[in-house]
This record gives sequence, C-alpha cells and structure tokens, in this order.
Amino acid sequence: MIGVVKMTQEKKKRSIPLTVLLTLVALGQLVPLIWLFDFSLAKSGDLFGSNMFILPDPPQWGNYAKAWINGKIPQYFVNSIIVNAVSIGLVAVFSVTMAYAFTRMKWKLSKPLLALVTIGIMVPIHATLLPNFLIFTRLKIADTYLGLILPYVAFGLPMGTFIMTGFMEGVPHSVEESAILDGCNTRQLIFRIIFPLVRPAIVTVIIMTYISTWNEFIMAATFVADDSLRTLPYAVYNFAGEYSADYAVQFAVMMLVALPSLLIYAFLSDRITAGVTEGALKG
Amino acid sequence: MHRVLSNKRAIFWMVFPGFAVFCFAVFIPLFYSVFLGMTDWRGYGEIHMVWAQNFSKILFHDPVFWISLKNALLLAVLTMLIQHPVALLFAYLIAKVGGKREKLFRTLFFVPCVISTVVTSRMWVAFLSPTYGLVNHFLKAVGLGFLQTDWLSNQRTAIYALIFVIMWQGFGWAMLIYYSGIKGLPKDIMEAAKVDGANRFNLLWHITLPLLRPVIVVNLTVALISSFKQMETIFLTTNGGPGNTTQFIANYLYTEAFSAQKYGYANAISVLFVVICILATVILNHSLKRDAIES
Repeated sequence: MIGVVKMTQEKKKRSIPLTVLLTLVALGQLVPLIWLFDFSLAKSGDLFGSNMFILPDPPQWGNYAKAWINGKIPQYFVNSIIVNAVSIGLVAVFSVTMAYAFTRMKWKLSKPLLALVTIGIMVPIHATLLPNFLIFTRLKIADTYLGLILPYVAFGLPMGTFIMTGFMEGVPHSVEESAILDGCNTRQLIFRIIFPLVRPAIVTVIIMTYISTWNEFIMAATFVADDSLRTLPYAVYNFAGEYSADYAVQFAVMMLVALPSLLIYAFLSDRITAGVTEGALKG
Repeated sequence: MHRVLSNKRAIFWMVFPGFAVFCFAVFIPLFYSVFLGMTDWRGYGEIHMVWAQNFSKILFHDPVFWISLKNALLLAVLTMLIQHPVALLFAYLIAKVGGKREKLFRTLFFVPCVISTVVTSRMWVAFLSPTYGLVNHFLKAVGLGFLQTDWLSNQRTAIYALIFVIMWQGFGWAMLIYYSGIKGLPKDIMEAAKVDGANRFNLLWHITLPLLRPVIVVNLTVALISSFKQMETIFLTTNGGPGNTTQFIANYLYTEAFSAQKYGYANAISVLFVVICILATVILNHSLKRDAIES
C-alpha cells in the first residue's frame, strides 16, 4: 500500500518536466493562432511595429463588428448550416440503408455495387472538379445548394458506408431475426431495429462527414459563384481580396470563421476524437 | 425471414438514392473527364478529338507535371521522416502524462485540424509575411535578421515553407492516430516487461513500437496518399508559384483549366491523377497485406 502511494507520488513528480515540455510544444504549435487572435484586436497599423505580440489597448472589438457585417458572416453561416445539415443527414441515413442492404440482404448485385462504392474512397475530389463544374453548369445546379449537397453526399458516402458495413459485421443476427419473426416489415426493421443498433457508428459517420464538409473550400469556390449562396470558409477568401489592406479586420474574419468549429470542438472534443480515430483506423 | 431480407422493392429504395448521387457526382464525371481529356476543348466552340495527344504531351513534354509529382514525393518523404516520428513521440509522451492533463494536451494538439484550411492557410500567409509576419519579426529580435526572407515567394524556401505548413496542419491527425494506437495496446504485456526489468527505452523500442506496427503502417499509407492529393493549402498560399516550383497535380490541373482555359488538357491531367491515386492505394494495400501476413 505504502509502495503504491510512493509510486504515484514519484510518478507525479516525474511528470512535471513532461508537462512543461508538452505545454511549451502545444503553445508553440498554437502560436500562429494566438498571434492571429492578438492582432485581430489591434489596429491594422500595429502589425508593422516591431512587437511580436501586443496588448491591444483598448481591444478593437470594432474589427469584429466590421468583419461580421462586411464579411457577410451571418449569411455565409446560414448557408453553411443548410448545406451541411442536409449533406450530413443524407450521408448518415444512406450509409445505414446501403450498408444494411449490402451486408445483410440477399440480392445479386450487392457485392459488385459495394465494391464500386468502396473504390470511391480512393477517388480524389479534385479530379471531379472540372467535369462536375461543366456538368453542374449545364444542368443549372451550379449556383444552388444542390450543387454542393450532391458532391458532399457523394464523397461522404464511400467512407460512411465503409464504416457502417464494418460496424454491422459485429452486430449479431439474432435481434433482427426475432424482429422479423415477430412480423416486422422491412421498413420497421430498418428504422426501429437497425438504426438504434448502429447508433455509435452513425455518430462516427456524422463526425467524419462534418469535419470534411464543414471546412470544405475548393468545391464551394468552384461550383458556387453567387455570393448569396457561399458557405463560411469562402468568407476568408472573399474578404482577403476585397479588403486586402485592412489586416486586423481580415484576421477578425478568420477568427469568426474558425469560431464555430472551435466551439463545436470544445463541447464535443471527446466524441470527435473518438470518431476520428475510429474512422481513420477503419478507413 | 427470407422474404423480408430479399424484398426487391425495399432494397431498391435503400440503395438507389445514395448510389445514384454517388454515380452522378463521382463516377459519371470521371468518364466525362476521360472523354474531355481526349479533346482539345478550350471551354467554348467545337470539340475536336485529339485522342492520346494530351496524355503523351503530359507524360513526355510537360516538366510541370513532373515537378508536381516530385513535390508530392518530397512532401511524402518529409512527412514520414519528420512529422510522423515527432507525432509518434508526442503521442507516447501524452499517453504517459495521464489524467486531466492527458485529455487537455490531446485536445490542444488537434486544434489546427478542426479549423478550415482556408483560415489556416491565410493565417500562415500572414504569419510568414515578409513585411509584418511574426516569423521575420522573431528572427530579427533574436539577432538572426539575415535569415529574413519572403518565405512563400522565395524560390529556394517556398516549397519547404509550404511543406512545413502542411505538416503543421496534419500533425494532430497523425498524432491522434498514434495516440489511440498506443492506448489500445494490451497493458499486461507492458506490465510483464516492466516486471522483467525492461527500462523505459527498451520498453518503447522492443515492446511498444513492434506492437504499434500495424497502426504505423496504416498511418504512413494515409500520409503518402494524402501527399498526392494536396491542393487547398497550395491553392491558398503559393498557388504553385513562384514559377511552378511549389506546384502539385491537383492545383496544376485546376489552374490549367480555370486560368489557362485548357479544359481538354486539364482533364487529361485529371485522369492521370486518378490513375496515380488508385494505383498508389492498390499497390500499397497489396504490399502491406503481404507484409502483415509475413510478420
């Protein structure tokens, strides 16, 4: 007993230099962000002084007001919410139904179609930018929400289906068998029995899809030219062009665009960490 | 039982919507790309077939394409030699801290990964700016002012500055995967080794690392493939410049299409790009599977 107490004390003492080291490295890694935040509260001219960091006196919160309005943050934010909510929702539902049909149901084409969807994981999104730009423009779905939702769902599905099929392999057949014997039809089986069973995997799929679509930029910049439909990441790019001399406000725009992601991460960090590692190790 | 599980109508509605979207936005465009890649289309006017001409030009007479590939390889090598060992080391250290601090550090190191590349890329452009960036201010302050340069525009530094930015952004991912790998190691083996008198270095070198091998292999594979797929960070920092020295395939095909209006040629690059990515994935997976069986 005494030995154990001694050991934990020793462990604590030994871990102090380790904590200091990790703190320093973490700070070092976050320095660019801290710097960005610091000068987003300064006057634009302060950047050209010789100080690496300054104490903004008084903090120029007006930069954020300007960024909020001139950067059209509210509008872009709403667009981001709409596009992401629909895309993530569809990926979550489709990956469950598809994975179930591919792994548990009996039909001829299930193997080849699953293989085709899995190949999708290897296709780089950038290789579809040109053809999709041309196709979307011709079909008039460029410059609509659909022009982003369709590719986001299409690229979310392979990973989602992959994670889901992996998870379903571990789900015992007995539950659904008894449900079917009790007279469940297919719809009841999927929505009442399977969805609750695979909930942990759905969370993983939602998180993986969220991380890639919420921050997605290049498709959003390519398929949408109408300013009223732009999503949040575009605000930074847009603003950098229009107000190139107003550095402090530009920095404020960047902070505002990063803020929702940071908040979500702050509240859900455990879930996100778990989701990312599960998704990545299975992918 | 059989009737419910082979209900054709149900299967159709479960698979068709998602599969249709997938084909529409991933597969059909790829075939369209193959077709356009065989033309000399410039975005307007008639389409003329030139068949394999674009492809042979890219492979045999286009230095920029090869620079792009070389840069992807350089990024892959540096990521594996620098980012991954450091990430693995820190994953190990964080796993050792324990308690609340462990969670705190794990969370902090992953922060850059949850922020949009647009923000981090523009932030690094500012951070490395020759006129007001912190990096040059810092160098001056510590008496290394002679090292100051325009990091992202200087031909000699641009590619390394860019690679550094990409590694910074990806560090949290690599670390988190290693961390969860370490967390998943069987504790009894570690305890047994400790009881047998293994010191910390021996434990790390002879027990932890060999056990982590599958995780390391997966993580390095992902790193290699994502090196070829790099685009956003380049597009938003150097856009391939100066003089194509920091060009990557995806960014190259994008500028060829949307700036140079060479749609046919750009689509041909795009097709080769897909082929390279799929080949790399298949070959790696294949050799790794064999590797896993042998070891």
